[in-house]
Amino acid sequence: MTATGPTTSAGDPLGVETLPSLPGLGGLYARGAASSGRIAAGRALPNLPVIGQAREPDDGPPVLPGVAYRVTGVETGGLATHLRDYQRLLHEPVSDVMPAGYLHVLAFPLATAVMVRGDFPLPLLGMVHLANEVEHRGPVRVGDRLDVRAWAENLRPHRRGVQVDLVAEVWPDGGADRPVWRGISTYLARGFDLGDGAAGAAGADDRPERSERSERAPAGTWTPPLPTGRWALGPGTGRAYGAVSGDRNPIHMSALAAKAFGFPRAIAHGMYVAARALADVGTARGDAYRWTVEFGGPVLLPGTVDVAVTPVAEPGTPAAGFRYVGWNARHGRLHFEGGVVPLGP
Amino acid sequence: MATRKTTTGTPRGASSGTTGSARTADVRDAVIVGGNRIPFSRAGKRYADASNQEMFTAALEGLVARFGLQGERLGEVVGGAVLKHSRDFNLVREAVLGSSLSAQTPAFDLQQACATGLEATINVANKIRLGQIDSGVAGGTDTISDAPVAVSEGLRRALLAASHATTLQGRLKALARLRPVDLKPLTPATDEPRTGLSMGEHQAITTARWGITRDAQDEVALASHQNLARAWDSGFFDDLVTPFRGLTRDDNLRPDTSLEKLASLKPVFGKSLASSEATAGPTMTAGNSTPLTDGASTVLLASTEWAEAHDLPVLARFVDAETAAVDFVHGHEGLLMAPVHAVPRLLARNGMTLADFDFLEIHEAFASTVLTTLAAWEDADYCKNELGLPGAFGSVDRARVNVNGSSLAAGHPFAATGGRIVATAAKLVAQRAAETGETARALVSVCAAGGLGATAIIESV
Repeated sequence: MTATGPTTSAGDPLGVETLPSLPGLGGLYARGAASSGRIAAGRALPNLPVIGQAREPDDGPPVLPGVAYRVTGVETGGLATHLRDYQRLLHEPVSDVMPAGYLHVLAFPLATAVMVRGDFPLPLLGMVHLANEVEHRGPVRVGDRLDVRAWAENLRPHRRGVQVDLVAEVWPDGGADRPVWRGISTYLARGFDLGDGAAGAAGADDRPERSERSERAPAGTWTPPLPTGRWALGPGTGRAYGAVSGDRNPIHMSALAAKAFGFPRAIAHGMYVAARALADVGTARGDAYRWTVEFGGPVLLPGTVDVAVTPVAEPGTPAAGFRYVGWNARHGRLHFEGGVVPLGP
Repeated sequence: MATRKTTTGTPRGASSGTTGSARTADVRDAVIVGGNRIPFSRAGKRYADASNQEMFTAALEGLVARFGLQGERLGEVVGGAVLKHSRDFNLVREAVLGSSLSAQTPAFDLQQACATGLEATINVANKIRLGQIDSGVAGGTDTISDAPVAVSEGLRRALLAASHATTLQGRLKALARLRPVDLKPLTPATDEPRTGLSMGEHQAITTARWGITRDAQDEVALASHQNLARAWDSGFFDDLVTPFRGLTRDDNLRPDTSLEKLASLKPVFGKSLASSEATAGPTMTAGNSTPLTDGASTVLLASTEWAEAHDLPVLARFVDAETAAVDFVHGHEGLLMAPVHAVPRLLARNGMTLADFDFLEIHEAFASTVLTTLAAWEDADYCKNELGLPGAFGSVDRARVNVNGSSLAAGHPFAATGGRIVATAAKLVAQRAAETGETARALVSVCAAGGLGATAIIESV
């Protein structure tokens, strides 16, 4: 722990563990599956002895590991082809400038590595991505050397369990005043509680209010706007994004695997649809922007998503950015909504 | 060749004094001698196995026969097709070589979606006006029935990688990346690439925004069929159309349709907008939308001197043209609204108003395209905010719109529509001027995919 090292958003210092390189997501899911099983088994059978580092079921309330992972000197010179594949898949123009969604792909395996630690109190598999918030402060190009950090913070109650923020940061290697990219991914672990009776309390959580509404609102109570676009997402959408992002969570890969987690079919990655919306905004987003998304009902694959990506109409403020919303036109159900707002210097 | 002063004509609305650059520059007139097309046919019917080149050659050869151009070296033949196979890179030149025109007639292809035919006309007219050529043919052709089928992006990239590989092993490695899904052929779609919405879905949104009713659209469709049928019956197309593959009339024409029949059709576009804001339900049917169509058209343009020297009649003058594009991607403007923006600029440059036109030829991509265009020009707020005009642009007497039918009845082979409209408008103003002894004028408006639009002024000589 150092004075200049990472702290949580609340200012709590974190211990730093420096890893030699960015982990790959594929292998992490295998580890995540093992530890998820351990945690699930621990919950189901409290008296079963648990092997390994996983916390004992009677450890008391879940506590996040007070550690940040860090990888310095991340070379991106070899990523040109991978970036091109990402850009083509997400309908981004092909260039050597990394869109914010690509930096998520780059940095998030480090956050996932935090989630598969033995002392991480929640199971990776089965967690629900509620929301994502990214501050992208300027162009990052193929060839830039990066310093990537990730940790978990802000474990808090949610109506249906507990939610946690996974924070990832991308810094220019060699230091700077602030990260060039910072992403906060909010996840829900259903059925868990913090042991203080707070779970289930109405209003215990602030951010996912909208997601809750959209997930639970009966059809017809939400009036969609006129669409500006329509995405026909094929059955392989999850596999394609899984291949390029490394996020091969089984719920995205096949109907059979998704059924095991309670979905009727495979579902699209949240970051895929959010990144498609970001791409739709196009060059109007500029080099620095805040990109947010809140997820509602999952996008089942194959499927059609109607989207409205519209400028925030505030006369005289050309930099007000865009709002976007995606929904299922047949059922009138909200899938996601968010914004892309240019950031000042 | 030296340029010459414009010699004839003073526009009626030009009394204010500002006649604009279009008529004051050192350019000469480009006149429309005539046109020829083949009857348009619904996709998959009479022209099911006719290629773009065959249809365009037929339309061109009919034009050559009509005006005695065998062996003639024309200044240029310009045309295109929206759905074009890459092997047809010189589609128009190949058609020229297959025609009775002199093989020394140059040609080139262009493409501007549904505005292809009108854009070709603008190109030929401009070359004539600048004195670069003395004569030329503009036109277009499209086939849905014989449309090119592309391979998937995965197969295309694998085949290209294999052809770039220098070793057998490299080629096999490239092909090994293929997946079964890559072998599925891709047929052309009319979806806008940036939005994923088809043209019909886009127009359904515009229709809903402008509150255009189903009844109003069906009335436009009925008028189109009735007007086109009357024009055919009166012999209007006798010198504008050459039969092809046994077809002598546009086979989409339904002279006996009625409002009741049109009202019985189920909506096909905008069905998912039912629950959206600002829509009373879907209104666009197969009856008030253009069908997919095969066909080809041509127009002969020339300088006045060339027409005289060849002892050819002159129908009209191609006065001026304006293209426009709109920002539709994020819904700011409707996909097919570009002509609404182009026309006020075109008329301002020429010192004209909507009242100066005897005929308005507004391409009926959908019945609601005509109605949203007219509604927009009548809306003072819209004209102020979107078009930068002091107030409403103006109203149009509906009896002047598409008087001899348009695409709803005739069909719409994308690139061929411009030539059909230009020839029709030229003949209309020629007839009207002959009746009244006064200058007659037609305004042409063609919307196109990509938020594009082309417009033109055609005037009797």
